[in-house]
Amino acid sequence: MSVGTPTLRQDAREKVTGAATFPADLVPKDALHAKVVFSNQPHARMRSMDTAAAAGAAGVVAVLTAADVPVNEYGLTAFDQPVLVGVGSNERVGVAVDVSRWEADHVAVVIAETPEHAAAAAALIEIDWEALPVVADLTEALRDDTILHPEVGGSNTYHTLKIRKGDVEAGFADAAVTIEQTYRLPHQEHAYLQVEAATGWIDHDGRVSVETSGQWTHEDAEQIAHALDLPLDRVRVRYATIGGAFGGKEDMSLQIVMALCAVRLRDLGINRPVHCCWSREESIIGHHKRHRGVIKARLGADRRGVITAVEAEVWLDAGAYNYTSTKVLGNAHLSVAGAYLVPNARIDSHAVYTNAVPGGAFRGFGGPQGTFVAESQMNRLAEALRIDPVEIRRRNLLEDGSEGITGAIMPKGVTLRQVVDACADVASTSEPLAAAPLFSPIATLPAEAAAVRRGRGFAAGYKNVGFSFGFPERCEAEIHLHGDAEDEVPVSADIFHGGAEVGQGAHEVFCQMTAEATGVPRDRVRGHFSDTATSGDSGSASASRLTWMAGNSILGAAEEAEKAWRNGERPAVGQFCFVAPPTESLNPETGEGNPNFSYGYMAQAVEVSVDVETGHIRVDRVVSTHDVGKTINPALVKGQIEGAVVQAHGYVLSENLVVEQGRIINPRLSSYLIPGIGDIPEHVESVVMELADPLGPWGARGMAEMPYITYAPAVIAALHDATGVWFSEFPLTPSRVLATLSDDAATDSLFF
Amino acid sequence: MIPAAFDYERADNAEHALSLLAEHGDEAKLLAGGHSLIPLMKYRLAVPSVLIDIGRIGDLSYVNDGGDALHIGALTRHRDVETNELVRSEAPLLARATSSVGDPQVRHRGTIGGSLAHGDPASDLPSVLLAMRGSVIVTGPSGSRELAADEFFTGFLETAVGPDEMVTEIRIPKAPGAGWSFQKFNRRAQDWAIVGCSVLVDGDTCGVGLVNMDIRPVRASAVEAAVASGADAASAAESAAEGSDPTSDLNASAEYRQHLARVLTKRALEEAGKSSA
Repeated sequence: MSVGTPTLRQDAREKVTGAATFPADLVPKDALHAKVVFSNQPHARMRSMDTAAAAGAAGVVAVLTAADVPVNEYGLTAFDQPVLVGVGSNERVGVAVDVSRWEADHVAVVIAETPEHAAAAAALIEIDWEALPVVADLTEALRDDTILHPEVGGSNTYHTLKIRKGDVEAGFADAAVTIEQTYRLPHQEHAYLQVEAATGWIDHDGRVSVETSGQWTHEDAEQIAHALDLPLDRVRVRYATIGGAFGGKEDMSLQIVMALCAVRLRDLGINRPVHCCWSREESIIGHHKRHRGVIKARLGADRRGVITAVEAEVWLDAGAYNYTSTKVLGNAHLSVAGAYLVPNARIDSHAVYTNAVPGGAFRGFGGPQGTFVAESQMNRLAEALRIDPVEIRRRNLLEDGSEGITGAIMPKGVTLRQVVDACADVASTSEPLAAAPLFSPIATLPAEAAAVRRGRGFAAGYKNVGFSFGFPERCEAEIHLHGDAEDEVPVSADIFHGGAEVGQGAHEVFCQMTAEATGVPRDRVRGHFSDTATSGDSGSASASRLTWMAGNSILGAAEEAEKAWRNGERPAVGQFCFVAPPTESLNPETGEGNPNFSYGYMAQAVEVSVDVETGHIRVDRVVSTHDVGKTINPALVKGQIEGAVVQAHGYVLSENLVVEQGRIINPRLSSYLIPGIGDIPEHVESVVMELADPLGPWGARGMAEMPYITYAPAVIAALHDATGVWFSEFPLTPSRVLATLSDDAATDSLFF
Repeated sequence: MIPAAFDYERADNAEHALSLLAEHGDEAKLLAGGHSLIPLMKYRLAVPSVLIDIGRIGDLSYVNDGGDALHIGALTRHRDVETNELVRSEAPLLARATSSVGDPQVRHRGTIGGSLAHGDPASDLPSVLLAMRGSVIVTGPSGSRELAADEFFTGFLETAVGPDEMVTEIRIPKAPGAGWSFQKFNRRAQDWAIVGCSVLVDGDTCGVGLVNMDIRPVRASAVEAAVASGADAASAAESAAEGSDPTSDLNASAEYRQHLARVLTKRALEEAGKSSA
């Protein structure tokens, strides 16, 4: 048996020895080097650009501009972004290509003998810009004084989702208590260890090829093919070892421009590969972030805490381009009422263009924003009614057969009640909290018993597994079984799969599932991954979907290969494309529809210590409880839980991206503070439950985003428990915590 | 993020280092552990055309018993200071503060003399020198001179060390029975202090050095005076930010730093009071 065992991940040795080759390690010997020139203009129209000096500079081979791009547009869900901003119309493009809407819009690519030559030449490019009004944030965007994408419509608010369920007025009229609050959510930077890097070349079959790191090889290839006007089969994308993605490599960074370089070099008769690696600063400025936003919410409940109505209005700052904003918005929309029975609801959610860094995919994909509000509202309700936070959830939880917020019956296997109960049990939430332990010497401060308050917080939720809202959801796998004609059973197997190994351990899991499905021992399974030339379309490494979707594709391919094996074929080849149950986009007026086919359920209990004289917070204990359906690899599941908690810890406590007038002020890891080893929670207890998803492979559910999603509201609730003060925005930097504590009249006497 | 080009010279001993300094003048900088200078060079805040590497001068790494004071060679690494038995028994405040500098990698490379000569208000060790009323031996072509802590730090990243001089020794008065405390607040463990505070209470005298509360390392004179006149910790600490001029940045506003100075000083005075023999 391979599924369910903590096999050593297939890339463990190469990663710990440093032998693994990330994209920046793969610089071919004869490579040219590219510098991608950013506009550095949050909003401006290009009058002219002079590249003559750059083109004539030492070591320069070519300077590419907008005129070099056949179809100068791209975007995962809408073609609303020029590949290279520049002058000269392009009749095949919908978006005005001479306007920079983001400081990191690309304006040119300099190809030179060395990175130094390329950088020096890039500085010689002269651009005449006509300044346009910068739409700095949601407040300015909602005025619609300046419309950033007139081709999309007459408002910066370019996408709205609605839910109209029951009778909201009646619901609030029935409420004994109403909780009303506005919440503000911050950006978050992905901060993957490995910055964007790529190599472009023409492969032996003449294909335009890019080796990089991403989350979906086939989608990268489609984006390249569109912009370069190439047939899809003339484009090849493969992934090197990927040093983290978290949604931040879902969209294009270097893919299209490096393919463009390869094509133009070929046109010039230069048969050399071209390489580019961004600096950390370029990475932080040059890729999207978790959306910042504002959410107004109202929650009504009867005296027992049973929800009577929910109202919410969500605004996400999409930044300069859509990226995946409309889809992220959908997840915020679905989660903002929580995983509860809500008889009456009115929810309006909007994506809004600004000149800030684009918002896009990031672990949880809108779920963290929506769930933060839903769970903060529920915790405030519990306090208002003096009902235990766990108990009040028990009175409202979705169950099997429940109607979800969009009117559809929940997919079978709703296990939130079991998850909540298990979390409360392990965390002993009904017991009093122990006294504050000493602040550890590494975490900033010694004990000052008089100033330390302790508190406990709870949050629960759900997150869809797989693509939503009718997006085609399929995944291909191919398995080859090897052996002699007389062998009863295969002696070895090959698995060909496109799914991206972004650090989560997907490829090991694919090998384990192949072993399990074929009966071949794990150590006789060989994996061949993430190359459009050898593997079918897997869909992306996102939405907690890969184990679920790839597992089902592998089961199908194994069955096909088994048939071939019984027919005497050697190798016995099985190909399969798994198609998930269909989902629906929501009715534009009522929000009705069945958006998802599977969910994962989670609950977290968090204990914190707060130094009320400095605002410093330490998280002492986290109980993170998850129904994963079936554990494929227990070590990897635990790794995902602890990793997600640490990432969410940074989101709620320390990571403070400052974006002013369309510019990121702190694009460095010395001033954008991700948690270090001395800052993360002292104890994370992973509680893993295996309550099968009826449709999951071996019963598995997705789980990679879930431990992230409930952490912020749980910490905020614990902070309230400790201090008596509710926070409706974060990160909880010490100065913000201190200022909020001292602003609150109720706490004045306590602290000052 | 890449330093400008420079020439490299290695000094065999202090005399050699001084003659190289005399030769290259203002263009040269001394390189010890490299943990202050190299980051500055990477940011191009320092652009020396010559680096004189004094890191291999072995005879400037020592902790000696000088009678009333500890004599510590300028090139003694942080790790060797924090683990030195003499330092731990005679100047435990220095041992404690040194143990909170950076992380183990930094402490195995960085030196006490380099840290002090850098004159960084955000560094931990200047606050100790101020609180313990230590001094610095500076050696130049015409011999050595001893500078008290209060004379040593003159401005932002500026000290009283002349262009042809080098720090050769640090002297820390012994304070075996004194009460002491080192407090440090940072946004992230092992980062630079947002604010820090060193306190030494020895009988009636009290020394308070602050980290990151001005453009140079400063003493909280008003607190020292209040303690000397019999004020308790809480009321003495109220004047901790008096006369200070901390910066505002993304990590903390000046007002928040001033608040932290009061809180940390109160805690340090209380802890020092308890540890006093």
